[in-house]
Parts: sequence; C-alpha cells; structure tokens
Amino acid sequence: MADNIPVKSFLNEVGNISQFTGRFFSQWYRPRYEISEFIRQCYFIGYKSLPLIGLTGFIMGLVLTMQLRPTMVDYGVESQIPAIVGIAIIREIGPVLTALIFAGKIGSSIGAELGSMKVTEQIDAMEVSGTNPFKYLVVSRVLAATLMLPILTILSDAVSLYGSYLGVNIRGQTSSSLFWIQVIESIDFYDVLPAFIKTYFFGFAVGIIGCYKGYNSSKGTEGVGRSANSAVVVSSIIIFILDLLAVQITDLLGYN
Amino acid sequence: MQSKKAVNNIKLGIFVLAGLFFLIIILYMIGKNEHFFGSNFMIKARFQNVQGLKIGNNVRFGGINIGTVKEINIINDTLMEVEMVVDNELKNILRKNAVVTIGTDGLVGNKVINIESEGNKSALAMEGDILPSKKPVNTDEMLRTLYKTNNDVGMIAENLKSTVEKINKSEGLWNLMNNKDLSMHITHSVENIEKASREANLVVNEINKVVKKINSGHGLAGTIINDTLLAVTLYEAVSNFRTMSKRSDSLVVHLQKSITEIDKEITEGKGTVHSLLMDSTSARAIEKSLINIEKGTEGFQQNMEALKHNILFKGYFRRLEKEKKKKEK
Repeated sequence: MADNIPVKSFLNEVGNISQFTGRFFSQWYRPRYEISEFIRQCYFIGYKSLPLIGLTGFIMGLVLTMQLRPTMVDYGVESQIPAIVGIAIIREIGPVLTALIFAGKIGSSIGAELGSMKVTEQIDAMEVSGTNPFKYLVVSRVLAATLMLPILTILSDAVSLYGSYLGVNIRGQTSSSLFWIQVIESIDFYDVLPAFIKTYFFGFAVGIIGCYKGYNSSKGTEGVGRSANSAVVVSSIIIFILDLLAVQITDLLGYN
Repeated sequence: MQSKKAVNNIKLGIFVLAGLFFLIIILYMIGKNEHFFGSNFMIKARFQNVQGLKIGNNVRFGGINIGTVKEINIINDTLMEVEMVVDNELKNILRKNAVVTIGTDGLVGNKVINIESEGNKSALAMEGDILPSKKPVNTDEMLRTLYKTNNDVGMIAENLKSTVEKINKSEGLWNLMNNKDLSMHITHSVENIEKASREANLVVNEINKVVKKINSGHGLAGTIINDTLLAVTLYEAVSNFRTMSKRSDSLVVHLQKSITEIDKEITEGKGTVHSLLMDSTSARAIEKSLINIEKGTEGFQQNMEALKHNILFKGYFRRLEKEKKKKEK
C-alpha cells in the first residue's frame, strides 16, 4: 500500500489537472469575456517577457554558432553554418528554449500570484462578490500565455538568428544577405509550421499548470512557494513531453 | 491610470504585430523560395528513372532556380512523369526543345532538375507541355568505369614504381648524374659538334660549288660527266678493249693447248724435245758430240793461229789490227 502512495498521488494530480483543463475548455468561450483583463495579462505575460526571451535567444544563437564552428571547419562545411544553425533554431531551440524560459518566468509568477490569492482567500471573496474567479483569473491568463508564447518564439528566433549572424562574422565573413538567403533556403514550411504550432501547446501548458498550481495552493506561505516551484517544474516537464509528441506526430504525418 | 493602460496596450500591440510580421516574413520568404506564391505555369518531362527525385526538389534553368517539382506520377512500368511548376517569366524564354535532365546538387546533395536550352529554333513551351528528357548519368556505370580505370592506373603505377626503383638502385646512373665534370664534357662535346657541323657546312658549301661547276660543264670532271661524245668514244674504247681481251683469251687458250701437247709429248716420250730432255743415252751422245765439237773448235783455233802466223796471211791480219787502232783513236 505504501508503494502505491506516490503512484496514487501522481494519478490523482493528473486527474485533477485534466479536470481543471476540462473546466477551462468548458468556460473560456462563454460570456462574460474579461477582455481588458486578458489584454492586461497579454501585456505582462508577452511584452514584459520579451527582454528576457530576447536576451536568452540572442545568446543561444551566438553560442550555438560559435560552438558548431570548430566541428564544421573540421568537416570543411564552414559555409553550411547558417543553414545548420537556422534549422536548429527554427525547429527546436527557439520553441523549446523560449518555452522553458517562459515557464520559468510566467509559470512561477502565475503560480505565486494565484497561490497567494488563494492563500489570502481573495479567490473565495471574488466568488462571493459574484465575479467568476475562474474566468477572470484562469481563462485570461491561460489564453494570454497560449497566444503570447508563439509570438515570443518568433521574435526569439529572429533575435537568435541575428546572434548567429554575429557569431558567423566573429571569425568568418558572411554578408547579411548571404546569411539570410542560406537560412531561408535551408528551411521550408515543414520546418516552420510544426515548430510554430507546438508553441501554442507549450504556452497553454505553462498557463494551465501555473493556474492549476496556484488555484489549488495549500494553505500558508510555504504553499505559495511550493505551488510556484512545482508550476515551473511540471510545466517544464510537460514542455519536453509535448515536444516529444510533436516530433512524433510530424514524423507520422511525413512532414519531418 | 487610464493613459498608462493605453500605453501598455500600444506596447502590446507593437509586440504582437512585430511577432506576426516576422512570422509572415519568414513564411513569405520560404514560400517565395519554393514558388508557392506568384503566377506559375506547369511543364512536364518523362523519365525512365527519376533517381530519388522528390516533390519540392528544385528546378533549374541555366543554373538558376526557377521552380520546384510538383508531382511525380508513374505512367507505366518504364515511364515516370515529373510535373514541374516554374516561374511565369519563363513563358517567354523556355522553348519546346529544351532538354530536361536529373542531376545532383553538389556531390552528395539533393536531386535537382536541370533544363538546358537547345537554341531558339523551336516554339515557346506552353502550359502542360512535355519537354524532351535525357537519360541521366548513371553513377553506378560511372563507378564501374572508374574501377577499371583505377585498376589500370594501379598497374601503371606499379610498373612505374619498379622502374623508379631500378633507376634508384642503379649506381652507374647516379654516378653519371653526380659527375660534375660530365656536364662540362657534354658542353665541350656539344661545342665540338657545333664546330664540326659548321665546318661540315663549309664543306658542303664547297661541294655545292664544285657540283655547280660540274653541272655547268667546266673542267675535266665536267667534261667527263657532261660531254656525250666523250662518253661514246669511251664506250668504243672499252668495247675494243673487250674484244682485244677476248682475243688474247683465245691466244692464251692456244698457248695452253700447245703447252699441254708439248707436255704430253715430253711425258709420253715422242719427238726431239723428249729425246733431248728424257732420253739419257741421247743426252750422253749429245754430251759426247759437244765435247767433240769443243775439241774440234780447239783444233780449229790452233789452225787459225797457225794461219795468222803464216806468211801468206800475215799482211791481212796486220791491216785488221791497224784499222782497230784507228777506230780507237
């Protein structure tokens, strides 16, 4: 029986998250729409994350290029660096890295915010005052996270490729037009679209896990910290699982 | 508060638009690359073997990417039809006799379709035209040929190696090559040869002159060679000489005959000569007679001396002596 406890709690957690997600889907399209709250959340979740995402993206592109360079020179395919870095960033590194940073920043903030609201019984107060707290707090945040992450990913990709361009030009000499032509030539729709689509799922996962963890926070300050922490951990794991699923599906569909 | 919210909204709007702009840009550029947008027209080509050509592979005209492969259909067991979407600009350039081949981008790259122009004698290609194709170069065949060539080259290299080894081992050659005097000698020899040839040239010039002279008929040689009359005379002389020699020949034959006859006579014991040479009795007789003759002449001399001193003949002999003395004076 003792062995079963972690499994049980895990299954319990999965069930609760599924139920929470189901509640989200049953609520999000119904009025009343909290548009101004949604836009406010978009501003915080999307716009405010841009500097962090841009910085990490830029560094990632630059570092990846510089790390690849010696090996590529060994193989005599130095000219293929833009193509390889372009594919790596657009297909995998851009979406996943952005989603992980996003989970770290937004997942934790949502978890902590909702957790502290739960702990201070603000959510209960909202319910009493007639506002639908789920709609106001959860739906707006989850939708904002879902819609903002793809845009952040696209911008991160662009900044990463710019970093890669600088990285190429640290040692070599490549004109920007040649660099962009090489990048664009090496990628096609089937590189961009699956990567773009999966970021919606990443954003949704981060938003829903953060809200769930905050919404079901246990009592006390400790509970707030734990919900913030576990929101990041679980959403990061789910991002990787979703990434695995995404690559399997695209492969199955023949678009890989 | 309200204005701050508006500013925030503007920032959010810019953020979202920037993201969408980049997305659209990247999709548009990829699409442009793959000729998904813009006006196109479709052409076809048929191959026996498309060698792994895929939908989306590039189509090149004169080395420029002008389109992509849109569809590959199997017509029958030996014929594959490739549909290509190419840029509309090509409508005024591409002709019906342009040849389509399947090639490789680089050594190990993607397959590409190359369209090569064959001059502008034909009409412009229209939508859906089937262009002529050429059988692509078969890598297997190429490798097979290369393998054979390689073997040959290997054999040649081996032979070359053994030759070089032999040269390396040959001390004589190395001595020759290391000999510093050799080059000097060779230089001298060459100089000598040059000198000799110069002299030879002079000699030839002289000979030339002589030959010219001869040709023009001057001098003895000229006469000999050029005078036809002389030749005739010479010919006659030679023929006379020949008849003479013929006669002398017959003379010699006669002589020989007589000699043999004589010889025969001598050996067979006939005639005077034989008796003279071979008969010992007659020889003795002759000897005797000769002795007798000697005695006789001795007697005769005595008679003559006596005659000299005879009174009758004394005057005659004195006269003879006087005449002799006169002559000596």
